[in-house]
Amino acid sequence: MSKDAKLVKKLQDPKLKDIAFSELLDIYQERLYWHIRKIVITHENADDVLQNTFIRIYKSIQKFKGKSSLHTWMYRIAYNESIRFLEKNNKKSFDNIDEVSEANLEALFEDAYYDGDQIQRKLHKIISGFNEKQKRVFQMKYFDELSFRQISEVLQISESTLKSTYYSAVKIIEEKILL
Amino acid sequence: MNKPIENNKSFLKESFKEGISAHHKKYLGTDVPDNYFSKSKISILDNIKEEVKKEEKPKKQFVFWMQPQFKYIAAASLVFILSLTVWLQSSNKNNFDIPIKLEEFAFSDDILINSLLIEDSEIDAFADATLFNEVLVKAELFEQEIDNVILNSLILEDSLLDNYIDDEFLKTIIL
Repeated sequence: MSKDAKLVKKLQDPKLKDIAFSELLDIYQERLYWHIRKIVITHENADDVLQNTFIRIYKSIQKFKGKSSLHTWMYRIAYNESIRFLEKNNKKSFDNIDEVSEANLEALFEDAYYDGDQIQRKLHKIISGFNEKQKRVFQMKYFDELSFRQISEVLQISESTLKSTYYSAVKIIEEKILL
Repeated sequence: MNKPIENNKSFLKESFKEGISAHHKKYLGTDVPDNYFSKSKISILDNIKEEVKKEEKPKKQFVFWMQPQFKYIAAASLVFILSLTVWLQSSNKNNFDIPIKLEEFAFSDDILINSLLIEDSEIDAFADATLFNEVLVKAELFEQEIDNVILNSLILEDSLLDNYIDDEFLKTIIL
C-alpha cells in the first residue's frame, strides 16, 4: 500500500481523521499554496483560497474513491477553488481575459510578497500573455513538476494536447527571454 | 547563484532541490511571510474545527409542520379555508340580492320563522292583512282618540275658565 493510500485510509477513519489531516497539511500545504498562488497571483488571495481548499478537502475526503491519486485529486480541488475565486472577483470589473491578465500582473508587482528582478518580471509578462490553457499547463509542468498524466487529470485535457501546448509555451519563453 | 533563465538549456530542467518556496522565489520572485505555512496550518485546522462544530449543531428547525408532510396538510387546509370563505361570501351575496321589505319582518319572531316554510305570496298576503289590521286600523283609532282628547280638553278648559271668570267677576263686582 502506497503512502498516499495509507493516508487516505486514515483520513476516512473518523477516529484518525484529525491526526491524518494534520499530516496531510504537512505534506501538501506548501505545494497547493504555490499552485493556487500562480492562479490567483497575490499572497492574500492565495491564503483565502488555500483555506477554502483544505476545508473542502476535509469535507469531501469520504467521497474520495481513489480513481486518481490523492495528489491529483487535491490539485483539482485547489484549481477549481482558484477559478471560482477569480470568477467571483473578476467578473464584475473586467470585460475580457486580457484585461484580467493585465490587472493580475499589476496586482502581482504591487504585492507585498513579490520581489522579482527584471528577468523575473519579463518571465511573468510572457506567461501572462499566454492563453489560459497554455498558462496553466506551463505552470503545472514547470513550477509544480506535475507529470503530463497528472495535469491531464486536473485539467481534463488529453496528454498529447498538453505536450504540444507545453512545448510551444517553452519555445515562446526561450525565444522571448533571450531577446 | 545563476538563475536558470540565464542558461536557456537548464532553465526548464531544474527541480525542487531547495524546496518549492525557494524555487518560486528564485524563478518568479514570489515570496511568503515568515513562518507562513506553520501559521496557516494552525489557521486551517481552527477553521475546520469551526466548520465541524457548525455541522454538528442541529439546524434550528422552526416547528414540526415545516416537514414536507405537514406542509402539504397546512397548504390543503389553507386552500379549504379560503375556498369556504369565498363560497360563503358568494352565497351571502345571493341572499342580499332578494329585495327585503322590512315591514314584512317587523312583527314577530314567529312570522320570521314561519316565513321560511311558507310561500312568498302567502307571506305577502299575510303581511298586507296584518299591516292593514295592525297599522292602519290602529292608526285610525289612535287618531280618533287623540281628537277626542283634544276636544274634551278644550271643552273642559272652557267650562273651568267660564266658571273661574264668573266667580271672579262676581266677587269683584260685589266687593
